[in-house]
Amino acid sequence: MSNVLKCEHLRVVFGGLAAVSDFNIEVEENQIAGLIGPNGAGKTTVFNLLTGVYTPTSGVVTLCDKDLAGMSTIQRSHAGIARTFQNIRLFKDMSVIDNVINSFNYRMKYTIPEAMLRLPRYWKEEKAARERALELLGVFNMQDLAEVNAGNLPYGAQRRLEIVRALATNPKLLLLDEPAAGMNPAETTALMETIGKIRDNFHIAILLIEHDMSLVMGICEQITVLNFGEVIAQGTPEQIQNNPVVIEAYLGKDRD
Amino acid sequence: MEKKFKIAMPVRYGINFALIVLGWVIFTVLFSTGALNDYWKGIVVNIGVNIILATSLNIACGYLGQLPLGHAGFMAVGAYTGAIYIKATPAYDLLRAGNTTAIIPYVIVAIILAALVSGIFGLLIGIPALRLKGDYLAIITLGFGEIIRIVITNIDSVLGFKFTYGASGLARIPKFSSFNLMYIMTVISLFLIHVFMKSRHGRAVLSIRDNEIAAESVGINTTFYKTTAFVFSAMLAGVAGCLYAGTLGSLYPATFKFMKSIEILVMVVLGGMGSMLGSVIAAIVLTGLPELLRSFSDYRMVLYSLALVLMMIFRPKGLMGTYDFSLNKSIENIVNKIRGKKAAKADKEVQE
Amino acid sequence: MTFSSLIAQFINGLQTGSVYALVALGYSMVYGIIKLLNFAHGDIIMVGAYVVYYAIASFALPPMLAVILAVLVSTLLGVTVEKVAYTPLRSAPRLSLLITAIGVSFLLENGAQLLFGADKKSLDPMVSGSFQLGGVNVSYAAVVTIVVSVIAMVALTILVNKTKMGKAMRAVSEDMGAAQLMGISLNRTISMTFAIGSFLAGIGSVLYLCAYPQATPTMGSMLGIKAFIAAVLGGIGSIPGAMIGGFAIGILEALVAAVHLSMWKDAVVFLILIIVLLFKPAGLLGKKTQEKV
Repeated sequence: MSNVLKCEHLRVVFGGLAAVSDFNIEVEENQIAGLIGPNGAGKTTVFNLLTGVYTPTSGVVTLCDKDLAGMSTIQRSHAGIARTFQNIRLFKDMSVIDNVINSFNYRMKYTIPEAMLRLPRYWKEEKAARERALELLGVFNMQDLAEVNAGNLPYGAQRRLEIVRALATNPKLLLLDEPAAGMNPAETTALMETIGKIRDNFHIAILLIEHDMSLVMGICEQITVLNFGEVIAQGTPEQIQNNPVVIEAYLGKDRD
Repeated sequence: MEKKFKIAMPVRYGINFALIVLGWVIFTVLFSTGALNDYWKGIVVNIGVNIILATSLNIACGYLGQLPLGHAGFMAVGAYTGAIYIKATPAYDLLRAGNTTAIIPYVIVAIILAALVSGIFGLLIGIPALRLKGDYLAIITLGFGEIIRIVITNIDSVLGFKFTYGASGLARIPKFSSFNLMYIMTVISLFLIHVFMKSRHGRAVLSIRDNEIAAESVGINTTFYKTTAFVFSAMLAGVAGCLYAGTLGSLYPATFKFMKSIEILVMVVLGGMGSMLGSVIAAIVLTGLPELLRSFSDYRMVLYSLALVLMMIFRPKGLMGTYDFSLNKSIENIVNKIRGKKAAKADKEVQE
Repeated sequence: MTFSSLIAQFINGLQTGSVYALVALGYSMVYGIIKLLNFAHGDIIMVGAYVVYYAIASFALPPMLAVILAVLVSTLLGVTVEKVAYTPLRSAPRLSLLITAIGVSFLLENGAQLLFGADKKSLDPMVSGSFQLGGVNVSYAAVVTIVVSVIAMVALTILVNKTKMGKAMRAVSEDMGAAQLMGISLNRTISMTFAIGSFLAGIGSVLYLCAYPQATPTMGSMLGIKAFIAAVLGGIGSIPGAMIGGFAIGILEALVAAVHLSMWKDAVVFLILIIVLLFKPAGLLGKKTQEKV
């Protein structure tokens, strides 16, 4: 099976300080990979490098063997990278369904004059978009919330809507930034199942940042551990759990 | 689950069209019976200009979430474009001879030209200005607006011939802005804004307002949509300017000072940024009210500014918030509510 | 144009520029601390000018007392505006705050028009006379203006860099939350910033009257915008930047007027603003910030 995401020697320097150095990862189709590490280890920075928010100082990112160098956030979204945000960034004054339909923008083709004259293509694409959006909301059983303003959703539902919105861009690679943050254990378990379901139904690669170890160990096939911007371990959940370097990074060095 | 009552699309358009015609009939009857005299007819026409101005600024301000302070500049461009063109046509003499139908083609061309030229200015200003945000965008658009006014004031001395007639004013413009024209143009403007906003393009604009970084992450071409919304806003301001020229018959650059931009902004803010209905109501109230309270005219601007400050402190979302009224939706809601009650009653009866 | 007339224009420019610089400092400090473009700042100068006018023309107070009164009223007005209009909006979106500031500005202008009338109120020059310096005629007003504003700026720099209050102000502008956690009173620091800014604007209004001895309700609007442009040009939030910006705009205007293009004066200033914003948005001495994702 071929790699969806491949990073080689990714490095970024801010003001003389390497926020991420020599980051390597390969994520395959239908695979869920985890990115963990203490606070400030550079996990979100990696996401920002992958999505083109930051430009790497050196290193290569490829998506399905295509080099992404020089591509903007928007172009990378079109190429097939979608993400959610650690601090939720929904379109909060728009309805839930419009949050989702907005992600179809790039693939909808009707022009501004067509919209203004309400030509057939407008009706056809809008109808299809609505149906598809409801279908995607169904992944999280959120169809009934379609007309609610996104800002009025409860916290957990906002996190789920972020995932639906990202999925709606039809990605090859889905980046989830702390999807379970602020969720209770029951919600986290449900989320875990859904993430698995997404992988199975959409055949995409998923890379997620998470602090909830039960979730990470439960669904990730491979885990990368970052500390101070450097990869300190990479492997299966079992390998990571028993890795002394990882334990040290998380718990600190034994002093006696 | 019971299927909800929905009015079919063609019927929706039909209802709205009937309402528009009804509005026109009411006004025409009021004018022809003399219930509203010519003085009030003039005010109604002014209200039309202000509705277009306020709703056009609302595109950039309410929907796109920016704060341009140079809207009067685009209005000025449209006003002078339309006026200079139509002065070059026989429209003035035709109108004096009472031939109101013969000027229609000239008026149409004037309005289209005004929209185009303002749109070009909107593009030229929008591309650099939209690279900035917030206060900086506000101040740069203020700068461009003032430059437009200064250029209109002084351009004749550079050109060496009379073009805008500078500070002394452009006079003898045919007064082509009849009530009918104003009514049609207001309806067209509101319609265009509505159909733009209720499309994938309008959705993209709103998403940029709500969260630009997230909009980029789902592939929205933010630069394109920001520029488009800005240009659209400028074009309609140009149309309003052209109609304004046609109501007054003369133009002075001093009209388009920074103060004018703020007056338009007040309408948008009081109505609720992001609500077209709010802008319309605010434009009607803020144009009509001072006429009703003529003895208060000295206090008008003081009250405006006081209202602006109080509104921001106590009701920052404006009168209407982002709410937009839709008659059809209201009918649907009422019908659904009645049906719901009936269904509940039926359930109860069955249980008993 | 002769060399001596060029020098004369240069001195004129320095004179107006010092007023811009003083007003720009107020903008810059307020922007630095609460990220608000305080549109009403220019109008405080207008109020100060009216105070001087009425103190001298109606109450026949000695000029020195009129000056003190003007500075006092300006300071009080600045703090009052902050307390009444801006404090309730501290956690509101920036756009609301900006619109409020525009509202306050218009309220002051239109209120002044209602109270004092739209006509010009002219005053006898407060500082008259001139002297010859190497063939150039220099007015005492220009000398007073330049000297007073330089002293004010030096005093401000010392205040901000050396005193506890200044340290608190810098801390709040760096990180409001962290400063509060360190026990700095937010309300007091912000009020103090407005007080100092408005105090400088009060001095600015007096100096403005030295150059143009008249008061109108809208005099503060263009003056305020130009001072703001000066602040942006120098780099908003930076004290030396505001000074450099103020002098630069003043001299530029004088030079444009010297080549008989004074009707394009404002356009040139706005053009400079646009160019600066586009190519060096942080200004000459400002620092760049980026939104965190």
